[in-house]
Amino acid sequence: MAATMLPAVAAVTRPAISALQHQQQENRIRKTDGPAAQSVCSSSTKLSTGWRLEEIGTCCRNAVKNSSSSSASVYVSSTQQQKGRRGLATWATLTDAPVESEQEKVGDVLLEVRGLCAVVEATGKEILRGVDLTIHQGEVHAIMGKNGSGKSTLSKVLVGHPDYVVTAGTAVYKGENLFDKEPEERSHAGLFLSFQSPVEIPGVSNMDFLRMACNARRSSLGLPELGPLEFYGFLSPKLAALNMDPSFLDRNVNEGFSGGEKKRNEILQLAVLEADMAILDEIDSGLDVDALRDVASAVNGLRKSDNAVLMITHYQRLLDYIKPTYVHIMEAGRIIKTGDSSLALQLEAGGYQALKDSA
Amino acid sequence: MAALSAIAMVGNASLGSPSNCSAVLSPPCNVSAEKQRRFSRSRCFFPFVASVLETKNEAEKYRKDKTRSVLNNRRRPSITSVVTNLSWCSTSSAAEIGGRRHGAYAQGASLRDQAEASSVSLVSPSTPDLFLLDLASKIEDSLAEGDDLGNDVLARLREEATEATLGCRWPTNKDEAYRFTDVKFLKLANIVPVNSSSESSFNPESLNLPESEGSRLVFIDGVLSKTLSRVDNLPEGVIVGSISSIPQEAVRKFVLPRLSGVAERSQRDVFACLNGVGARDLVVVIVPAGVKVTKPLYVLYYSSSQGSPSSSSSVASSENSSYALSNPRLLVTVGKDSELDFVEDFSGAPESLYWSNSVCEIEIHERGRVGHSYVQEQSRHAVHIRQTYVSQVEASSYKLVEAVFGGRLSRHNLHIQQLGPDTVTEMSTFLLAGRKQLHDLHSKLVLDHPRGISRQLHKCIVSDSSGHGVFDGNVRVNRLAQQTDAGQLSRNLLLAPRATVNVKPNLQIIANDVKCSHGAAISDLEEEQLFYFRARGIDAMTARSALVFSFGAEVLQKLEGAGLRKRVESLVKNSLAEEGYMNPELAVTI
Repeated sequence: MAATMLPAVAAVTRPAISALQHQQQENRIRKTDGPAAQSVCSSSTKLSTGWRLEEIGTCCRNAVKNSSSSSASVYVSSTQQQKGRRGLATWATLTDAPVESEQEKVGDVLLEVRGLCAVVEATGKEILRGVDLTIHQGEVHAIMGKNGSGKSTLSKVLVGHPDYVVTAGTAVYKGENLFDKEPEERSHAGLFLSFQSPVEIPGVSNMDFLRMACNARRSSLGLPELGPLEFYGFLSPKLAALNMDPSFLDRNVNEGFSGGEKKRNEILQLAVLEADMAILDEIDSGLDVDALRDVASAVNGLRKSDNAVLMITHYQRLLDYIKPTYVHIMEAGRIIKTGDSSLALQLEAGGYQALKDSA
Repeated sequence: MAALSAIAMVGNASLGSPSNCSAVLSPPCNVSAEKQRRFSRSRCFFPFVASVLETKNEAEKYRKDKTRSVLNNRRRPSITSVVTNLSWCSTSSAAEIGGRRHGAYAQGASLRDQAEASSVSLVSPSTPDLFLLDLASKIEDSLAEGDDLGNDVLARLREEATEATLGCRWPTNKDEAYRFTDVKFLKLANIVPVNSSSESSFNPESLNLPESEGSRLVFIDGVLSKTLSRVDNLPEGVIVGSISSIPQEAVRKFVLPRLSGVAERSQRDVFACLNGVGARDLVVVIVPAGVKVTKPLYVLYYSSSQGSPSSSSSVASSENSSYALSNPRLLVTVGKDSELDFVEDFSGAPESLYWSNSVCEIEIHERGRVGHSYVQEQSRHAVHIRQTYVSQVEASSYKLVEAVFGGRLSRHNLHIQQLGPDTVTEMSTFLLAGRKQLHDLHSKLVLDHPRGISRQLHKCIVSDSSGHGVFDGNVRVNRLAQQTDAGQLSRNLLLAPRATVNVKPNLQIIANDVKCSHGAAISDLEEEQLFYFRARGIDAMTARSALVFSFGAEVLQKLEGAGLRKRVESLVKNSLAEEGYMNPELAVTI
């Protein structure tokens, strides 16, 4: 069904996009799964769609129920309020349901994940069972969830970790299929993952590593590479912003670093790479209060209207420093609930069970 | 456990034989009673041979007698007592042993190997080694022609070494210590002991070590060069120089006690004995009590081109090749509360065949500290054999950083003996074996006193199918060495198919309150590290390049002196670039 429907969607889309572009100012867009996206996902997606529709219905002013519309034209006309990403506006982005109108300006879609399923390569164990997530420029998303719910796996799959295999679903980043790209190409495109436990690399100094990373990004953008001195000039304000001692640069990458130093170092790399989409996997774990403040303020300092942050955390505490636009709750490889920051407070108060019951 | 009982059996069997050995342990242990008797009888010939050697001007006579002594002399039986209650174990073995490539394997320590390694290499009671006797006499002759024989101390050293040499045999792959290290080709080659110096061919400035200015000793073919050595930057009280040039009092106090028992300390290693036979010089560095040498002392060894040129044809036919043998010998004594950093750098004439057979003894007294950097960058066709003996008294600290690049064969026997409690020992070694190279490190740390701390990190890259790395790292924690904290790790990186390493990290623990660990890993680069690079936008090729480089850099970073590190950095880069494993332009530094 998907195969036959897709060209039709695309064909209708292009005029629709241009016609609707003027509307984007006033439309806040929330997405649910359209039938097209559903059809390419595993069957398990359908369940999660049910969840989402219900929940969005409660929290959005203009909820549109797309139940199981099978007509492409009807569907598109009701949902195309998404600003198109040039001609490449992919079908996945077309399936959005317009649900929310607010005054504030909403950026372009930066990352759109649909029905993502992934397994561990070595064991074949399924970790992600149909994740849906859309992130716009300027937004901060937080994912919370129990241990083992798949939060870290989601982040690793997005940056292309070789331990996981994507079995279904799509991820579109800046209008391009993320899974077509090598990990380094994803990084060049501005996707960044702050690792939960970054690996130690003895024998490579932090300075050399940062410069290699920075120059790799620069040359992919067609910019000239930075020499050691220029690079140091580029780096020192970033170091200062993180309250990091320059002696950090002479040490080997993460070797013998304390938990806090490792996280600071990850954020330093984020600052150096000037990424557009930062995924921060538990940057608050292992940090003392001061370090958390430093790291959070550095992240806030890096926020711009055209980039976005996806945080994975267990605790409300981090969200006090970095205010999320949306909070997602993940369970058993899916996002089961989405809301604003009040969701995290609810969670903090009553735990995951209470949240489930209230839902 | 099965191995343990087997050893006990062997021990008992030998005990029953009518010899004066308390136990003889030998891998194919079938020493018959008859042979044992012959062993004992042969001992009476030994003093005869030794006395012949006592007078130098009887060298001629010695040569005549040699034939006779060859027939009569039997190797003195080696006496080893096997401790049957030897309780040793590989505690918390973090080993992830497994060869991922063809031909690579790691071998866990076996008890037999242990006992063997600790014993003197045993000999079958057959004829003594003709080749070795011939070589020893050749070395003697070359000395007779050469200079500087007037020194009594050297004469005594040579005398004792000659005696020890006669009890040795050229090692074969049947000897555990040379199981993977083939030294047979030296038997086929023509070995020419160097007996004249050619100082003009070496310029220490060419090494580009600015820090060595004012504190360097230069060995040319085993003899200290007075014109090239400069020691004016050393603090007052430090005694440095050839044995013939230092004050008699210092010789008596510091050198003579170290002179005897050389053979015992080297465990009758044939190469250490040969060094003693052929030592044309003995260079002494004495740091008296309480003196801290702030600038590192550079000891540069250079082998000049007195052997045959190492053009590919002459190397191929090893019969025609002649190796110029030199025997540098260094004694370092660091007194109470003293400190010394010293750097040894071995180089040599390019495209030339030579065999550098050096011995270094280091003595560290109470609370003394020695930092030792060792860089071997000799010609690709050279032979480098080295014996280092370190003794550490109470609360002393010894840190070795070793980098081995050159040589067709390089072998380092490193023996560290703890003589008091609370010592700190650190060994970091990096071996890079390329085309047709074999690098071998045999280290042995013996702990006999409480609260010693030791850390050993051994890393080896084999970058070519014909390259070979060998490591035998023994840490022995004896009964009194309680609360020892000993860690040992061997990591090996095989970059080419059929590249080979043989590693044997091993611990022998008798004390019962210790913290010891050892491990070995043979693998490709770590996926997790590679991914970390790629996740930061660095492409896989560059990431591999950087990781291969960093594999060695982890050790090389600890080398003393920025100039030396820079040198070594380009050595590693060039060597890896030659084999195509890294881009020499890569912006990584040590």
